[in-house]
Amino acid sequence: MEIEGYEFPEGLFYEENHFWARVEGDLVVMGMNDYAQKMAGDIVYVGLPPEGKKLTQGKSFTKLESGKWLGKIFAVVSGELVEVNEELEENTQLINEDPYGKGWMFKIKPDTMDELKNLMTDAGEIHEWLKKEIAEHGGK
Amino acid sequence: MTEGLQFYEKWREAIIQCSRCGFCRAVCPIFDVSKRDLANARGKMILLKEAMEGKLSVTDGVAQALMRCTTCMNCTVNCPSGAEPDKVIKAARKEMVTIGYDNLFKAMSEGVEKYGNIYGEEQRHEWGHKKGKAPYVLFAGCVGAYREEESVAETIRLLDLLGVDFTTIDEVCCSGVLEDVGYKVKEALAQHNVREIRKTGANAMIITCPYCYRVFIEHPSYKDLGLEVKHITQFLAEVPLQVKTDKRVTYHDPCDLGRHSGIYEEPREIIRKIAPTFVEPERTRENAMCCGSGGGFRGTFPKDSLKIARNRLDRIIEETGAEILLTECPSCLHNFRNAKLRRQKIEIYNITEFIAQLYEEGASQEKQAAEG
Repeated sequence: MEIEGYEFPEGLFYEENHFWARVEGDLVVMGMNDYAQKMAGDIVYVGLPPEGKKLTQGKSFTKLESGKWLGKIFAVVSGELVEVNEELEENTQLINEDPYGKGWMFKIKPDTMDELKNLMTDAGEIHEWLKKEIAEHGGK
Repeated sequence: MTEGLQFYEKWREAIIQCSRCGFCRAVCPIFDVSKRDLANARGKMILLKEAMEGKLSVTDGVAQALMRCTTCMNCTVNCPSGAEPDKVIKAARKEMVTIGYDNLFKAMSEGVEKYGNIYGEEQRHEWGHKKGKAPYVLFAGCVGAYREEESVAETIRLLDLLGVDFTTIDEVCCSGVLEDVGYKVKEALAQHNVREIRKTGANAMIITCPYCYRVFIEHPSYKDLGLEVKHITQFLAEVPLQVKTDKRVTYHDPCDLGRHSGIYEEPREIIRKIAPTFVEPERTRENAMCCGSGGGFRGTFPKDSLKIARNRLDRIIEETGAEILLTECPSCLHNFRNAKLRRQKIEIYNITEFIAQLYEEGASQEKQAAEG
């Protein structure tokens, strides 16, 4: 679905720091949403921590950087980092080109799938939240 | 905006002085990864000569080409004609801005004025160290404070461990980098720093960033500071250290510390004290290749900048087989850490940060021995 000119595919879970989550078997895949990647501009670096790292929902665990901006990456759920998208080491533009596909960032083995209930899925709720974000940070 | 460049006589002579030999190609970090003639000093000198003589229209393309330089000074050091291309390029950038070809640093220049840092960040990291009177005052610089704050935290911890009585200040950007990209030092920011430094009553200033060090040493805005200005490697070289590592350690000379400031020996004195297995890269000291972050290059061409850092890092690993790469520059540190691939097992630190960690490991081992 398109909200305020940004893609927010249905069936994904969205959190307020601009990361998305998707269930894949018993894992949760996460990445950056379309609004955030457009606001950041060309991403040039994403920190890829070692597998095994313990993550806590809503807490930052690594960084990413565009030419003009440094941001934190927040865990969409608590759990163990089991896989990173190594393609992003040398092809960070995948985040800009395909934020919900080839630009995925991490796979997490969640402590519980229940935490996904804390994320947004309702189109109306996402729309209201995004309008506030655009009002505060601007849009493209 | 189409008239030829009106350089001062000094720079016109320097451009003509270039014999077009191309020796600079072998040492230019941008040419090394792009193999494009315009990327290196000779290409730019030819471009400027043509523009100066009115044979080439001055365009955005010329302005962009002039930004493709890290101002690492390797071409200048290796120029048989003594043409000083790094100074010519900086002067040409200023000339381009003067005649109306603003670059992206116009926005940065405004941001530096508004926010007091090169990133336009509203909040500065605070390490919680005291601010007040002390014999030494520590200056971290923007890259350390906004991009490598954890490394600066370790530097602060080391100084505390060594019992150095120092203070931090409400510092703002020294703004020297603007001089490299066509603009000027912000006098109001410089005077803020001078006032803050004087308030501490310190006898000496310790600076972690080699670029800030150069600005405090070289720029007239900081000439009346009334205290000794030291890069942290100069300070630490005189301090006894009680820790050692048996890991294979190598060192990357930051351009601003080495070629620009002539500080080669002090970092090595420190490293020899702590690392008996210290090994030099093939290109080292005045011939060290740049990490690709300087002269506004990281800001203007971030992907190419990281490509250069990756190239330098690959060679260092291949040449030295080191487990630890040390440097003492927040910009080099940041670029190398961003460039490092997961399969590369080398660890990258500022010297001070690494020593702080050795002290911590030592304390932890002592504790374990006492307990067990």
